[in-house]
Amino acid sequence: MSFVFSKENLERIEALKSRYPSPKALLLPCLWMAQYQEGYISLDAIEVIGEVIDMPPMELYRVATFYTMFNLEPVGKYHIQLCKTLSCALRGKAQILAQLSNRLGIKPGESSQDGKYTLSQVECLGSCGTAPVMQINDRYYENLTPEKIDTILESLEEES
Amino acid sequence: MSQTEVVIDDKRFVAKEGSLLIDLLIKHNLKVPYFCYHEALGADGNCRMCMVEIEGQKRPQIACDTLIKEGMVVRTKGENIESVRRNILELELINHPVDCPICDQAGECKLQDFYMDYGLYDSHIDQADKVHHQKHIDLGSNVMLDQERCVLCARCTRFTADITKTHELGIIGRGDHARVSTMPGKKLDNPYAMNVVDLCPVGALTSKDFRFSQRVWFLTSTPSVCHGCAKGCNIFIDHNREKYKDETIYRFRPRENQAVNGYFICDEGRLSYKALQENRQVERDRNGAVCSEAEALKAYCKTLEGAKGEIIVLADPNLYREELVAIEAYAAHIGASLYAPLEHYRDEDFADDWLKSSQRAANAKAVEILEIKTTLPVEKAGLLISFNHPDAAQIKAEKVISFQTHIGKDAYDLTLPLAVFSESAGTLVNEEGIEQYCPRAIKRNEPIPTVIEWLTQIEGGDK
Repeated sequence: MSFVFSKENLERIEALKSRYPSPKALLLPCLWMAQYQEGYISLDAIEVIGEVIDMPPMELYRVATFYTMFNLEPVGKYHIQLCKTLSCALRGKAQILAQLSNRLGIKPGESSQDGKYTLSQVECLGSCGTAPVMQINDRYYENLTPEKIDTILESLEEES
Repeated sequence: MSQTEVVIDDKRFVAKEGSLLIDLLIKHNLKVPYFCYHEALGADGNCRMCMVEIEGQKRPQIACDTLIKEGMVVRTKGENIESVRRNILELELINHPVDCPICDQAGECKLQDFYMDYGLYDSHIDQADKVHHQKHIDLGSNVMLDQERCVLCARCTRFTADITKTHELGIIGRGDHARVSTMPGKKLDNPYAMNVVDLCPVGALTSKDFRFSQRVWFLTSTPSVCHGCAKGCNIFIDHNREKYKDETIYRFRPRENQAVNGYFICDEGRLSYKALQENRQVERDRNGAVCSEAEALKAYCKTLEGAKGEIIVLADPNLYREELVAIEAYAAHIGASLYAPLEHYRDEDFADDWLKSSQRAANAKAVEILEIKTTLPVEKAGLLISFNHPDAAQIKAEKVISFQTHIGKDAYDLTLPLAVFSESAGTLVNEEGIEQYCPRAIKRNEPIPTVIEWLTQIEGGDK
């Protein structure tokens, strides 16, 4: 198996284990750790977690497929998740999406060729007051306009 | 738990307090629809079909998750509850492809039954709007999955999780996209896998072996017992005689018997029906030439009369008890020594701690009770008469008469065809000593004699 938890993650798992009556309670934390460590949850990771928390891999796989925030396929360095639900849709999500697609040259659900960006549309991000909203990795970008998209993407380019 | 009285549809019933309401309804044949509940798997409460009205409760309740309480008043019929069931059924059917004409489950499908009982509505959903999933996925172990037909009752996933504990199946995704699946790249792989086909209340899981071979309403089910090992699992033999053809077995299905096998059988036993109709010995064969029954009987008597030295009779420990008794009496009559060697039927690799026994001879216990010798005879015989024993060729004998169900690789002086267990009737005693009677299921167009029919003819000609 190619997946191995990092030393810090293993320490965190051990610390968390003492908190709950059963190691099975660590199902979600472990999935998160695997996703942060690798960028996505591989089948190898599911096997490894199954051993760590004593659970059949199928049970883990069911949970991992249930939640849309777990990526089961590799994503780019910057995972752009644009909200497509009502408030954002009414406040101009379509233009934002067009702008993102144009600048990155990819459609929703695709990754750029250099593996830097993945664009996806998601259900409500819970920030309707500042619609339209997108999330890049763990950060929210609010009150978006096509111009703002340009600045954001440029800053990401500089950053990397 | 104490007994208590409950009222269901204005009738009084006595039940254990704290037991499941649905068990009582099923026990007394009170009509209640359900997909997900199964006696072997317990209540899951996900299909919501088994709604009943309970006096004092605001809303209808699911019978599979309701415990019986004293003085409970339950209604399973009425306008109200039937409209609730109709609505739930419509939800279950929203994305169903309604491909009954090409579906193997048709005729034994719960969706069809409930639609005729409670549905009969006009669909609100257009065929074009249905969510599609993958069809005909080969899960392995002879099980085919059609994700679109699935009602997500989770019986199959609960079977692999709770009963076989192999955890191959699970429901992945959610909402409209929820579907039964294995892990990517993994197969359904356990010796009891095909039971999920019986468990599936709809046509989502079908048997690769049975599919497209017969419509279930043409099949006749005869209760019987599996001859795969000494466990004696109860089965139904599903058979049909098509026009101009011989009666054919299409499948074995498990038959519930809590004392023996519960609700399930192993895959090997389930598929053992094939051997009953392949490579069968049909002709009477004397020194390599086919002969008539009269000639065969004549040759038999002549060989018996001319036998020099000891006569040995070998009986297959798979034969019914009645047949073994008849062979025992016949052996005594002709002064032969009788053996039913068991050595051949020991198979430690086959055994597990559930429904598979290392003793592969179905009637080994009866052999033991009848005190027939179970060792392989070592002495040289003047004449060997074998009743379908697989070790017949190992015994040194001047002349050999072999009654056999299947064509073997060894040639004998006289080879006579013999009926298999489905073409005969009798009693099996399983390894725990439980006696089970198996009626005759198959009547061939040109019948092959059973042991008792042969012996009757021989003794008739003997006089």
